[in-house]
Amino acid sequence: MSAVGTFLTRRRGGDRWDWTDIVTFLWLGAGVFIMFGPALWLVLSSFKSPAQLSEFPPTLLPYEARTAVVEGYDKPLPLFVVTDDSGTRTLAEVRRVGTIAQMVDPENPATMERINIANRTPDRAVGFSWGNYLDPFLRFDFLKYTQNSIFVTGVATLITLLTNSMAAFALSKYDFRGRNTVVVLIIATLMIPLSVILVPLYSIVSGVGLINSLWGVILPTVATPTGVFLLRQYMLTIPDELLEAARMDHASEWQIYWRIVLPLTAPALAVLAIFSVVWRWNDFLWPLIVLSRQEVYTLQVGLNAYAGELNVQWHYLLAMTVITMIPVVLVFVFLQRFITAGIAGTGLK
Amino acid sequence: MGRIVLKDIRKTYGAVDVLKGIDLEVAEGELVVFVGPSGCGKSTLLRMIAGLDRPTTGTIEIDGVDVTARGAADRGLAMVFQSYALYPHMTVRANMAFGLQNTKMAKAEIDARIAEAARMLEIEPLLDRRPGQLSGGQRQRVAIGRAIVRRPTAFLLDEPLSNLDAELRVSMRAELSALHDRLGATMIHVTHDQVEAMTMADRIVVLRAGKVEQVDTPLGLYNRPANLFVAGFIGAPGMNLWAGRAGASGFTLDGGQVLPVAAQGATTLGLRPQHLRLDPAGPLVAQVTLVEALGAESVIHADLAGGQKLLAVLPGQPDLARGASVRFGFDPGHAHLFGADGLRAAA
Repeated sequence: MSAVGTFLTRRRGGDRWDWTDIVTFLWLGAGVFIMFGPALWLVLSSFKSPAQLSEFPPTLLPYEARTAVVEGYDKPLPLFVVTDDSGTRTLAEVRRVGTIAQMVDPENPATMERINIANRTPDRAVGFSWGNYLDPFLRFDFLKYTQNSIFVTGVATLITLLTNSMAAFALSKYDFRGRNTVVVLIIATLMIPLSVILVPLYSIVSGVGLINSLWGVILPTVATPTGVFLLRQYMLTIPDELLEAARMDHASEWQIYWRIVLPLTAPALAVLAIFSVVWRWNDFLWPLIVLSRQEVYTLQVGLNAYAGELNVQWHYLLAMTVITMIPVVLVFVFLQRFITAGIAGTGLK
Repeated sequence: MGRIVLKDIRKTYGAVDVLKGIDLEVAEGELVVFVGPSGCGKSTLLRMIAGLDRPTTGTIEIDGVDVTARGAADRGLAMVFQSYALYPHMTVRANMAFGLQNTKMAKAEIDARIAEAARMLEIEPLLDRRPGQLSGGQRQRVAIGRAIVRRPTAFLLDEPLSNLDAELRVSMRAELSALHDRLGATMIHVTHDQVEAMTMADRIVVLRAGKVEQVDTPLGLYNRPANLFVAGFIGAPGMNLWAGRAGASGFTLDGGQVLPVAAQGATTLGLRPQHLRLDPAGPLVAQVTLVEALGAESVIHADLAGGQKLLAVLPGQPDLARGASVRFGFDPGHAHLFGADGLRAAA
């Protein structure tokens, strides 16, 4: 805690607070609020019940109505704080007719009171609706969707790293006629958005019978121009003498790629892995088109099912959005040091 | 084992002739140094012997076998690169083992060879470190060690000492020579440093612009340079080369001074700065322009009548001032004579 205190009272230097210190903290504070505010709002809201989500004005923290088991009633009854001529007391609602609620005192269930609803407020405490998280997994197919998403993301990332690094190796370390043309062609495909090739791509995937198969989602996405370009630029910095030394050392071209170039490209591979995981995990449009059967849905497509035409189940949607965010956050937490390490230097010299 | 024969090696990149027909024989166990100015093709030639580049025409034979079409790995050679080219992600041990593992050698044999090379090069404490944790000299040893463990028929060294500081370079030079004596293997060493060439080589190959200018022992090159280029390239400071014409009375410099040297047909006379001496009766009259006193010797820069430059290295610390007129003499036997074609005149 003292470390946080030290951090938050850091100054530019000197004994007194300078106006720049204050501006800096305000500026950074605003940045933190803008970046983390929505995420925090999402996480907190994901624990709210549907009724609370539609409440106005909204509350920051999730609340749950307190209930009490009252003798003579099967279900627990919601509690309200009632304030009227007889003073302030906590009563349980039995039923409500128009603006009048029939309520009983949990201590004294025999006497029924008729209370105007203007005179009462729900008795609530901070509470979490875990059901938002549990129901999609227990009652719906979200466990299956999650498995599908993990499979698609994992396999697609592995294949992406393998194929892109092989292409990058050839394009950076072999000198052949038309090499630059190929590089330019690959980079040029960056300019073509998915929506342009959606229809022909669908015909191809459908033609090879991969509709409603996870491979239909994986295969068309693994060859990324960004990945090839990123890795190629990195591999260009690996000295050719290393490859020649390996060639003198009886290494086959595959071994040169696998044992020399690939390990040295690790920082760039980490960056591409992060990108690939984020892309594939968050992919929506293409899986939505390829996958039409529930059992092959990925998380993002499954989420879409909660946003119906007439009714949006916000509580599930928010909870599952939080779930879908977790892997991306984890990837950044654990792999970001590879990014900085990759920038800091390769250990070559 | 380790006899290398090059026959009419030519290399062209597009319209540029990099090598213009090189013939060379390297005997078994010999340490041959390729020396020449930058861009003379010496590294290209070495890479062709290594198999990393293919000659446009010509053949390369190792131990009587034509290996021109063979890949680098199948020539039985080992190369030490200028940048050392150690695999940065592997330990020193793994660096040395890599080439042996690729030939499917038994692990015990690999370990034995690494241990032997490490002992020879005194890098045993470094075996589990990575190249990034080593100093320049240590990396150099590891690079040599990686070559040694392969027991190659010949070692190819591409400017291996150029990345070391001056002091380390001198000691590594001696170590490389000692290593050559101990291994008895053929070595081809490329350098642009003529001191390195003179001190290490059994024979020196002087290259210029893709052609062999002269092949000889270090002292052979120094004492009998075959042409003007070699005369000017070998030796420091460079040889004095004066234009003039031969006559009955001797060699007449363009400035009019007559030197008592029998020189039929020669147009250039060469004289090493070390062979000049102060001589009140000497034939060369020059005006001193600069004196570089080094303590043990002094380098005198002077102008001859007619504007040609004279460079002399005199022992000790002679009392000469700028502007002084000095007479120099020399032993006619030390003069090198070159014809109009730049070649050494028969004498």
